[in-house]
Amino acid sequence: MALFVSGLSHRNAPISVREQIAVDEDKLREILRDVHATGAAAEVVILSTCNRVEVYAVADAPGQARGAIFRHLCRQRGVDAASVEPVLYTHVDEDAVRHAFRVASSLDSMMIGEPQILGQAKEAFALAQVCETVGPTLHTLFSQAFAVAKRVRTETEIARHAVSVSFAAVELAKKIFANLTGRAVLLVGAGKMGELAARHLVEHGAFPIYVANRTWTRAQEMARALAGTPVPFEELMGALSSVDIVITSAAAPEPLVTRRAVHETMHGRRRPLFFIDIAVPRNVEASVNTLANVYVYDIDDLKSVVDANIRERMREAQRAEGLVEREVVKFLTRLRDVEVIPTIVSLRERIETIRQVEVQKALARLPEAGPEVRDALEAVSSAIVNKILHTPITKLRESSRTGAGRSWTEFVHELFGLGRAP
Amino acid sequence: MMPSTAFTIALIGYICATALALTYLVRREEMIHRLASVATLAGWACHTLALVLLALETGRPPLGNLSEAVSAAVWVAVLLEMWLERRSGLRVLGAFVLPVILILGLKGMAVRVGPDAIGPALASAWIWAHIALALIGIAAFVLNFAGAIMYLLQERQLKARRPGTFYYRLPDLETLDRLTYQTLVLGFPFLTIALLLGALWARTAWGSVFAFDPVALFSLVAWAIYAAILAGRAAGFWRGRRAAYFAIAGFATLVLTLGIGLFLPGRHGS
Repeated sequence: MALFVSGLSHRNAPISVREQIAVDEDKLREILRDVHATGAAAEVVILSTCNRVEVYAVADAPGQARGAIFRHLCRQRGVDAASVEPVLYTHVDEDAVRHAFRVASSLDSMMIGEPQILGQAKEAFALAQVCETVGPTLHTLFSQAFAVAKRVRTETEIARHAVSVSFAAVELAKKIFANLTGRAVLLVGAGKMGELAARHLVEHGAFPIYVANRTWTRAQEMARALAGTPVPFEELMGALSSVDIVITSAAAPEPLVTRRAVHETMHGRRRPLFFIDIAVPRNVEASVNTLANVYVYDIDDLKSVVDANIRERMREAQRAEGLVEREVVKFLTRLRDVEVIPTIVSLRERIETIRQVEVQKALARLPEAGPEVRDALEAVSSAIVNKILHTPITKLRESSRTGAGRSWTEFVHELFGLGRAP
Repeated sequence: MMPSTAFTIALIGYICATALALTYLVRREEMIHRLASVATLAGWACHTLALVLLALETGRPPLGNLSEAVSAAVWVAVLLEMWLERRSGLRVLGAFVLPVILILGLKGMAVRVGPDAIGPALASAWIWAHIALALIGIAAFVLNFAGAIMYLLQERQLKARRPGTFYYRLPDLETLDRLTYQTLVLGFPFLTIALLLGALWARTAWGSVFAFDPVALFSLVAWAIYAAILAGRAAGFWRGRRAAYFAIAGFATLVLTLGIGLFLPGRHGS
């Protein structure tokens, strides 16, 4: 029996191929049952998302099982299997474990650290459990993969820094203000991205929200949508003094916010002022950033923050890879120990039965034997058995760690007549 | 054990703690932070032992000359750092406080020379209070300085709009500004009372407050700088970057004061 994963992902297959074989839940159910029924694989889990379609399975002949499963998948979607076959990758045993851990930890995702993949993997696993196609091996593999993913999320920062412009703006605000609760926001203009950034700020506790727009009705609408207050466009500068964060996305040929105006606002003011200027051309004069306690980020600055965040995620991914690698080694040791333990148990049982039978026989020949003789017989026979078994059991354990557990268990089963090796 | 042996061990502990805390700044490994905390605590425990041994050996508070006082100030500063880090959850604090502590520690502990500056005739509760209060103030200003440095680094990153290591590792500006403010509010009264006691003492002992003593003069300058920051903040126009620059100037003056005290003759001795 071998554990393997086979499939295609954004790394090797274009969307035109991925969309052809991605399947929905109902179809998955059918496929899982069919594959299981044909006996091609002992255990199967199928993960199907827009970025990957992967089959995790345990089978005697991985090559055949893989062929059977993907033919099935392709038939369901009416796709020619021959066109999919060449792009499939397959990882076996150790590589399959590593792949499962990396996928669940979002290290193999298009955007490293994106949180959806873990949920999707959990759903795929749950579905396979419902269809009863999960056995002990995939059960251990997936539970461990989820545990590893959780460790990666909490112990590294691969999912921490914003990778969208509007979230990056919120993160920046949080580097200026200790928390956003009760911070007043002024939204100028009615751009979609400005509204999105304002919404994120509101979700983080920002309040109250003021909305200014050249068109008064538009300002009113937007204010209603954000549970804010409309401000007449002419009173823009006056509103500056009472807010902490300003988002500008108005269409204007000249800057609306000048250095001189902000300089006046900042006079005698204690709190910092943060401008998020996503308008092109810019609404805030670039030189405003030179004023003390004022921070101005235009759309390019926000993009460069996002780029830096992605680089930071990549750095953290390096640490995560190390963590995954250590977990793979731990997992394999455990998996291999599991491989030889049934043999050790049956070996012990077999020898123990022989010992007990022989002790009974001896005692039957010694009717006058007192308790001391019985104890002595028990002790000496147990000691002999343990001494003899010590080396074989140690060797079996060692063999599992070097990866030769399979041939050793077969040999031991043969040698001691323990029946067919599991 | 000799006090000097314990001082040396404490210093080694602080060196390890500093190296680990700086490493933690670049490599965000849980283990490194834990080791840094352990090293800090171990160094501080040895330092405590050293101070107790010194007090037992000399039969007076371990503040007999300026280098001993600096060492005691380091002891208070480490205690403050550990407490603040625990309370605020600011795990990078050590990386900014410990190097300063180490420099002061090397100055105060390694250059332990000279006889007692305080002859038996001078020793009184007043003088011990003067020293103890001054060194608590200095310890608070060590943290004030570290806070100011962190503020400036983060502020630079935000102004430059190009996030680097410090942007990710350091907390927000408001938290850092509050840290510098709180440590200033903590240290200032201690320094003020210590200076007053010193001045009163000088008048009783030497009949004049203004007799030339470099340490007294320079600490007065430092006090004036800190007083200016407090006043500026209260008025509302000395927040953030400007307050941080002045905090650094104030601390530089304090360090200069101690340096003068250690290497030039004067009433503060040796």
